[in-house]
Amino acid sequence: MEVEGEVELKELCRLEGHTDRVWSLAWNPAAGGDGVPAVLASCSGDKTVRIWRQNLAADSWDCTAVLDETHTRTVRSCAWSPSGRLLATASFDATTAIWENVGDDFECVSTLEGHENEVKSVSWNASGSLLATCSRDKSVWIWEVQSDGSEYDCVSVLQGHTQDVKMVQWHPVSDVLVSVSYDNSIKVWAEDGDIDDWRCVQTLEESSGGHTSTVWALSFNSNGDKMATCSDDLTLKIWDTSGSFQIIDDGHSPWRHICTLSGYHHRTLFSVDWSREGIIATGAADDAIRLFVEDKHSPIDRPSYKMILKKEKAHEMDVNAVRWNPKDPRLLASASDDGSIKIWQCSC
Amino acid sequence: MSEKFSPALRLADLNDFIAPSQGCIVSLQGGKTKQERVENAGSKPPQTDPVKISLKDCLACSGCITSAETVMLEKQSLDEFLSQINSEKAVIVSLSPQSRASLAAYFNLSPSQVFRKLTTFLKGMGVKAVFDTSCSRDISLIESCNEFISRYKQNHVNDGREHGSSIPMLSSACPGWICYAEKTLGSYILPYISSVKSPQQAMGAAIKHHICEKMGIRPESIYHVTVMPCYDKKLEAARDDFVFSVDHDGEGRLTPAELRIPEVDSVLTSGEILDLIQSSSVDFESLAEAPLDKLLTNVDEEGCLFGVNGGSGGYAETVFRHAAKKLFGKELPGPLDFRILRNADLQELTLEVEGEVVLRFALCYGFRNLQNIVRKIKIRKCDYHFIEIMACPSGCLNGGGQLKPKTGQTVKEAIQSLQVLYMQDVAVADPFDNPIVKGLYDEWLRFPGSETAKKYMHTGYHPVLKSVSSNLQSW
Amino acid sequence: MVSQLINANPVVYEIKDRPARVRQPAEEDEYGADPIDQQEIFDILSTVVVVRRLNHIRDIKDPEHPYTLEELKVVSEDAIDVDDKQSHVRVTFTPTVEHCSMATLIGLSIRVKLMRSLPSRFKVDIRVAPGTHATEDAVNKQLNDKERVAAALENPNLVDMVEGCLSKTYL
Repeated sequence: MEVEGEVELKELCRLEGHTDRVWSLAWNPAAGGDGVPAVLASCSGDKTVRIWRQNLAADSWDCTAVLDETHTRTVRSCAWSPSGRLLATASFDATTAIWENVGDDFECVSTLEGHENEVKSVSWNASGSLLATCSRDKSVWIWEVQSDGSEYDCVSVLQGHTQDVKMVQWHPVSDVLVSVSYDNSIKVWAEDGDIDDWRCVQTLEESSGGHTSTVWALSFNSNGDKMATCSDDLTLKIWDTSGSFQIIDDGHSPWRHICTLSGYHHRTLFSVDWSREGIIATGAADDAIRLFVEDKHSPIDRPSYKMILKKEKAHEMDVNAVRWNPKDPRLLASASDDGSIKIWQCSC
Repeated sequence: MSEKFSPALRLADLNDFIAPSQGCIVSLQGGKTKQERVENAGSKPPQTDPVKISLKDCLACSGCITSAETVMLEKQSLDEFLSQINSEKAVIVSLSPQSRASLAAYFNLSPSQVFRKLTTFLKGMGVKAVFDTSCSRDISLIESCNEFISRYKQNHVNDGREHGSSIPMLSSACPGWICYAEKTLGSYILPYISSVKSPQQAMGAAIKHHICEKMGIRPESIYHVTVMPCYDKKLEAARDDFVFSVDHDGEGRLTPAELRIPEVDSVLTSGEILDLIQSSSVDFESLAEAPLDKLLTNVDEEGCLFGVNGGSGGYAETVFRHAAKKLFGKELPGPLDFRILRNADLQELTLEVEGEVVLRFALCYGFRNLQNIVRKIKIRKCDYHFIEIMACPSGCLNGGGQLKPKTGQTVKEAIQSLQVLYMQDVAVADPFDNPIVKGLYDEWLRFPGSETAKKYMHTGYHPVLKSVSSNLQSW
Repeated sequence: MVSQLINANPVVYEIKDRPARVRQPAEEDEYGADPIDQQEIFDILSTVVVVRRLNHIRDIKDPEHPYTLEELKVVSEDAIDVDDKQSHVRVTFTPTVEHCSMATLIGLSIRVKLMRSLPSRFKVDIRVAPGTHATEDAVNKQLNDKERVAAALENPNLVDMVEGCLSKTYL
């Protein structure tokens, strides 16, 4: 997007309720926009998940549900199915729970066991037919949703990472999965009809322009031809799969490194999110939120990105998650070690 | 090294990040060294004796199974094998049919040719006998058939009224699966696992408990090596359950702990045997074909090999045929109709009597399929009667110890050619008709499921509890 | 695979006499006029106990003297960097033996102690002194991964060991 004039990030609301650090956030993709209240899920070290609904009349946010009594340890990550009917939550208790949204209530309809220890992240594919999870046990699992969403079959256990896998994220369009790890690498996984299983089709590591420390998170742009990754090495990296004429095995077009943003962050970057309008937000251990956009007027002859805003002291402690609302692309939510969630309005 | 183990083990336990010297504190638990008091500090030398961590310690611990080669290679290596050949011990090698097929594919020979040439090669080095684990596998299969019938009947008596843990019966030949079940799944799954020993351990028991006596050799004078398609088999051989003490003086006194005798002293993989062949200057293809040691080898009077179908031991198929006959009076002469379910590693086999399914069997290979099966068992939604479980995708022919596919060959093509080669010059035969096995029952084991058979051909499983020390080293 | 996993016979150093300082509870200090300095961090850490827990692993019934980080010179005052303005603390510790398997436990205890003692605004980095541990980078990476630390602190066995290191009174 083109950024004209001053960029601002205005704090609309501070959501209190969690009694420990808030690790992750997910906007319900089926809610919000056109006078419909937006719905946000948050998960925390207090072992609970909270559901927050926008109160349009009062211009506030209400906590409409607290999902507890299922996970026995930190809930690290949460993700809504594309229809918004199911919420998946990944926990340090080694399980992934599936909750069905029935009216205002949430019912735990399934618990996926199998990981050896902490589950770090969960993600639904674009059609909602597959679920991916990852864990400190170094593996990435792919589950197929059966019938009504209460039964799941494990279709693959992928063991390519050599360390703790921090996050998994499905491509927004195709059934390609990306995982990032404590082993500093990014791996791309796709189904291989030949072996009737999934396998790693690409590994992005230091030698391919990748990160030199733990990769904490990734985010795709809306059409999926670019992705951003962020790391403990204090950089944000942009990867591109368009304009690549070289096709490596079975039709997979490889990702290549196009840009590294370094010097902006001074402590670990925990979260990155790419808005529908092309604004990349990051959350970091320096308590700040930063916004970046592609610099169309860059004098250099290759893609370049520039920071358009640094919100110092966005929270009192580390910022663990930043998430743009899918319906209202100027609405940003952030979560922090300070136990709070904030809703921001971005204006530019 | 960890990639050589089966996927189940890799997920559960292998830890090649922490080297044993740095991370493993298992040996400390037994240490009784007194800490120096502050006032005496520095005045006395440390009293700690070096403690070695053995593979057995690793198996007993709920922490990692260290993949450090030092641990693994110490006892079960080619070097150890060579040094035993030059010792006073009688070295006996038992070859698995899967390894035979893998080597056959590599040398473009038939399984029978490989077996005979390998016999020539090994005996030339000083090996006393070369046996065939398809022979001991027939004992495992017969015992499995017998166990299944009694579990099925027991389940039928209960008729679902009380939740017994007899059905489904889960095969026990895959050590990767057993290790995963004990370390990770724990006590809920163990009662379902067949108590029958694997062909490797059945062979070990036959040699060290019976054959040696018959031949007038002390069991401790035998060094028994198996050749397997699988690295996990090394862990199986090291299990405490498969080590015994002998009564030396006939007065019931046990031998000292260091004289405890393993049924299988060492496991070498197909790949290690190829290394052995290649490190000698022998031209393997042109070696003479030796006669086979008929004592414990499935070879008939005409010199033809025989055994059951199925690259992972044919457990489901053999038990299915037996149960159909024994329980429902149905002889099933032709090939069985295995139906592929979600993928080729998950297949189903059913028997219908009067429109009702009375037997429902499955083949379940690879970690992902295993996961779905154990989850169904846990929530009691598994309607199979018997499941042949193998940790590796495609089963034992694709074990981690097998030779790599030839250049230009995909893994899939390699497995397909191995499956054909596996039975190339091997006649299909019913284990109950095996004359060697009949002989062993007559002179030793008495009958399937007898007390003697239970003592030597069955084993038990133990859940491994998480220890404090394993928490400390991995978080 | 020799069991030089712990220092069976550590060198114990004499504790330096220094004036005791009493600090008010953390909340009152937030952005307060009285900045946190090197010596204060050292005072916080100097009582953390290590050896007692080594014995716990060794033999639970073996009562032994606890050694503090100070007595073992695992932490010294000049290995602590404090920037109160930037709310930043860096502690560099020296494990007793190169292969000491307890390095991560010591580091974890230091982190927990500081987490409980310092105002929440502080960012804490903990490192093994360069060249003092065989797997320095791995230990550093694990100790500074807050997700791993958070998970470790939900493990009752580990928490038990950390608490043992942090309890001042000894039976």
